[in-house]
Amino acid sequence: MSSPEWKLIEAGSLLAQFETFGLIWLNADLSVEDTFGPLVSFVGVGKPVTDSILAFIGLEQEIRSLRETTTRVLELPAVSVFTHDNPTAKLNFTIFWNAGRDCAMALAYKSAAQTELEIELSRQIRARLMAEAAVTAKSKELARANIDLESFAAIVSHDLKAPLRHMRQMTEAAFDHVGIDDAQAVRNSLRAIETQSRRMSDMLTALLDYSTLGRKYEAIESVDTRQLVEVIGRSLPETRHRMSIQGSWPKVSTLRAPLDLVLRNLIANAIQHHDQPSGEIVVSCADDAQNLVFQVADDGPGIDPKHHDTIFLPFRTLKDSEQSSSTGMGLAAVRKTIDAARGSISIASDPATARGTTFSVYWPKSIGD
Amino acid sequence: MMARKVMLLGEIGVGKSSLARRLVFDKFDFDYKPTIGVDVYRYEVAASGTRPAVSLILWDTDGNFGDAIFKHIYMKEAAAALIVGDMSRTPTLDSMAKLGDGFASAFPGRHIGYIINKTDLAADPEAAPLPTALTWPGRSLLRTSAKTGSGVADAFVDAANSIARRG
Repeated sequence: MSSPEWKLIEAGSLLAQFETFGLIWLNADLSVEDTFGPLVSFVGVGKPVTDSILAFIGLEQEIRSLRETTTRVLELPAVSVFTHDNPTAKLNFTIFWNAGRDCAMALAYKSAAQTELEIELSRQIRARLMAEAAVTAKSKELARANIDLESFAAIVSHDLKAPLRHMRQMTEAAFDHVGIDDAQAVRNSLRAIETQSRRMSDMLTALLDYSTLGRKYEAIESVDTRQLVEVIGRSLPETRHRMSIQGSWPKVSTLRAPLDLVLRNLIANAIQHHDQPSGEIVVSCADDAQNLVFQVADDGPGIDPKHHDTIFLPFRTLKDSEQSSSTGMGLAAVRKTIDAARGSISIASDPATARGTTFSVYWPKSIGD
Repeated sequence: MMARKVMLLGEIGVGKSSLARRLVFDKFDFDYKPTIGVDVYRYEVAASGTRPAVSLILWDTDGNFGDAIFKHIYMKEAAAALIVGDMSRTPTLDSMAKLGDGFASAFPGRHIGYIINKTDLAADPEAAPLPTALTWPGRSLLRTSAKTGSGVADAFVDAANSIARRG
């Protein structure tokens, strides 16, 4: 009983008895030849090891080929198997090739991550991670909301003041004209007030529409882009301007309504701001690696480069706002919609050198990534 | 019986373990216990008129692997992945498509199911907005509540049907 071999056996037996480890011997067909220690008492002898240790399912080839590997070891840390009766303990499995007996063996030992303290620590770390993720998401949302709010404050304080100021002046004029009994002048003032109030109402409606752009969750659907642009062309008001469609227009999975909005507004903009009774509008599509590149080109008067940035701001129109029927929201809506789709837009135009304007829209082929 | 490995993936705290426990034990633990490592469950989906019985071996990961998960030994021979998100936490939904794309790239042709969990927290789960990438045509998108059990079995039967079709 005092030989080194017996001491080793006794030590191994004691360690197994105290559930420090358990051993599983496997046959070539991965059935269980034998087990050692109460830690692996749940493993059925004579049955496929995968019946008891579900985590080995799918790894049969790896286990069989351990003999040929240089390390001859496969580690499966922190695994527990849940059955209808009972969960096993959380075990680490080391599967290795026993060269002496020419068979695969599995050594099971309790996972170090099983102490109550470690579980509690893990729980707290996870709770903190989740809370931090929530705070980060809220912060980003808040930052976006603040930018929107600032933008709105600027628009409301500046652009909506103009019709209000005009209405106040007309009201004062109406009072003056009442004083001198000039009914026609009073009527004119009241008509001007009515016009301004309608304009203001249109601006507010446009502003509200603008505020919701990019916030709605649109569905991705299969879109025939040529068909889309043809429908847009047919639905525009009767005009003497000629629209031609060029390039390669693919069928893609994308956001139909926002793309429709972008192309429709750019084409309508080209027609509306043309200075001749008839002109040429060329709409084209090309494909680069990441984007569909839509271009809307016209032979109109062009846009001075000093206005290239401001035309995308709400309520900006290069025509006199009093005379224009436009609310000046079209290009602002285009820019915001493209931003929401994570695309971009550029403009090429310089009336000093040539007539015409070309808008290029880079529309991501993969939306939502 | 055909036994196939199904990975449950998703951010921490989205309810992966709760889904597995609801499915296998038909119960819900109100006390949140994080998974450490991996818990493995077996769930047998009975045969239907068009499909033999399938034994799903569910691998409930601890959701803490990052991108390395797709190269981990745990993923070997995975027949399907169910990507879980928490309806009440938008960032967990945002990361679902990326996880699915990672799995599709590492295991081409395997089934991927997207599960929007915790629908019990929404007044109208069907109307709640989702990231557009999750609503692409062809995606298998299901809504579940591990708490009430709503939709849970359907999500796994859907996976079993798809696995059986793919062989």
